[in-house]
Amino acid sequence: MAELLNTELTVSELTSLIKKTLEEGFYGLKVSGEISNFRPTSTGHWFFTLKDSNSAISAVMFKGSTWKVDFTPKEGDQVVVTGSLDVYAARGTYQIKCDTMEKAGLGELLILLQMRKRLYESKGYFAPQLKQPIPRYPKRVGVVTSAGGAALQDILNITARRAPMLDILVLPAVVQGTTAAQTISNRIRQANELLLCDILIVGRGGGSLEDLLPFSEECVLEAIHDSHIPVISAVGHEIDWALSDFVADLRAPTPSAAAELVSQGYLDLHQQAKALKQQVARSMQTKLLIAQQRLKSHDRVIGGKRMEAIIGGKEYLLANATQNLATSMKHLLVLSASRLHTAHRELQALSPLAILARGYCVVQDSEERLVRSAKQAPIGTKLSLRFTDGSRKAVVEE
Amino acid sequence: MSFETDVSRIEEIAQKLNASDITLEQSLALFEEGMRLAKELEKALEEAKRKVEIVLGEETDTVEITNLE
Repeated sequence: MAELLNTELTVSELTSLIKKTLEEGFYGLKVSGEISNFRPTSTGHWFFTLKDSNSAISAVMFKGSTWKVDFTPKEGDQVVVTGSLDVYAARGTYQIKCDTMEKAGLGELLILLQMRKRLYESKGYFAPQLKQPIPRYPKRVGVVTSAGGAALQDILNITARRAPMLDILVLPAVVQGTTAAQTISNRIRQANELLLCDILIVGRGGGSLEDLLPFSEECVLEAIHDSHIPVISAVGHEIDWALSDFVADLRAPTPSAAAELVSQGYLDLHQQAKALKQQVARSMQTKLLIAQQRLKSHDRVIGGKRMEAIIGGKEYLLANATQNLATSMKHLLVLSASRLHTAHRELQALSPLAILARGYCVVQDSEERLVRSAKQAPIGTKLSLRFTDGSRKAVVEE
Repeated sequence: MSFETDVSRIEEIAQKLNASDITLEQSLALFEEGMRLAKELEKALEEAKRKVEIVLGEETDTVEITNLE
């Protein structure tokens, strides 16, 4: 730049030179730093400062690039950006124009996870022959997840709809942060120690790679590996993954999918019962139809003649029986009439009225007691005399 | 698993009903049994009320299970 010595330049000329030098010399950069003074605009661009303990640089990320970032930066975030230098001539300032941004340490995290995955793979934890079969008709499903999370709600809703007889046991765990892994593995071990269920869903809803990290921690992997209860790993969205997916007996893409898996057997059974019911009804209908048809043909050909023969014989018997019945009835009536007559005569002979008619009378005192001897009727006693045709009062004189 | 045995019994019934060598009375008895089983099964699958419980307490010896729903 010796040619610039003692050369008079306008501000624009100098700025243009600086712009050319900076922009052509500093591109394809990868810079790590801390977000500061984050100012998103309403039009979707991000303005902020990237700094470390000693220095700061203005930064911009335009809308065309921000949509690719899967988090919204906030004050103090450690990030790694890629981009190039950009000079704003009107103000004579320079800034870094960012193309991509990711949280610092994410790369390291991925490397760590890959290493751990290889380690557990070599230990044989992912072996297909270790996978336990998932019971088709579980009685009780254990769910290791956050008691307040959307994942639990999804699981409860889906199983209620598809298999309302399926019992659910919630084993609440912290699913994010430093204590999460330990509570998750404790719950898995607890379910096993107490034999609380016949299948376990271990999971949570979607989140960042860091959020899902507990499900890749060694203590969780060990607990799943040791579990005698079959485990379904259900971590995050379909694209998310955790190492628990590889150790578990089955990986479900989401907690909802896990709920569908555990209720599928009952849902199928329900469909099957419905279809079989229809099949049984149809078969019976066909059977009845055939029987009806056979009956009809019988009616016309043999049935008619045979019935005639049967009825003809019986008709004679019936007529005979009727005759017999009438005769014995008459007999019975005559017999009864003569018996009645005799009885009537006997009864009349015994009647006190018949005795009276022969000239006797009944003597009673004033209290209607029968007077059987003279002693019962001293002089002056009032008596009542009953004749066959009426009564008279009398007084004893001597 | 009683659900499963029920279903296989109904399947068996459906098969027998399709056979031609049974009497109408036998068919009727099978039909009644099949319908009864299928209805009971459907009812059990639709109307059974599940239990939703939650485990309280971290330690195995202090664990407590209570109803959630």
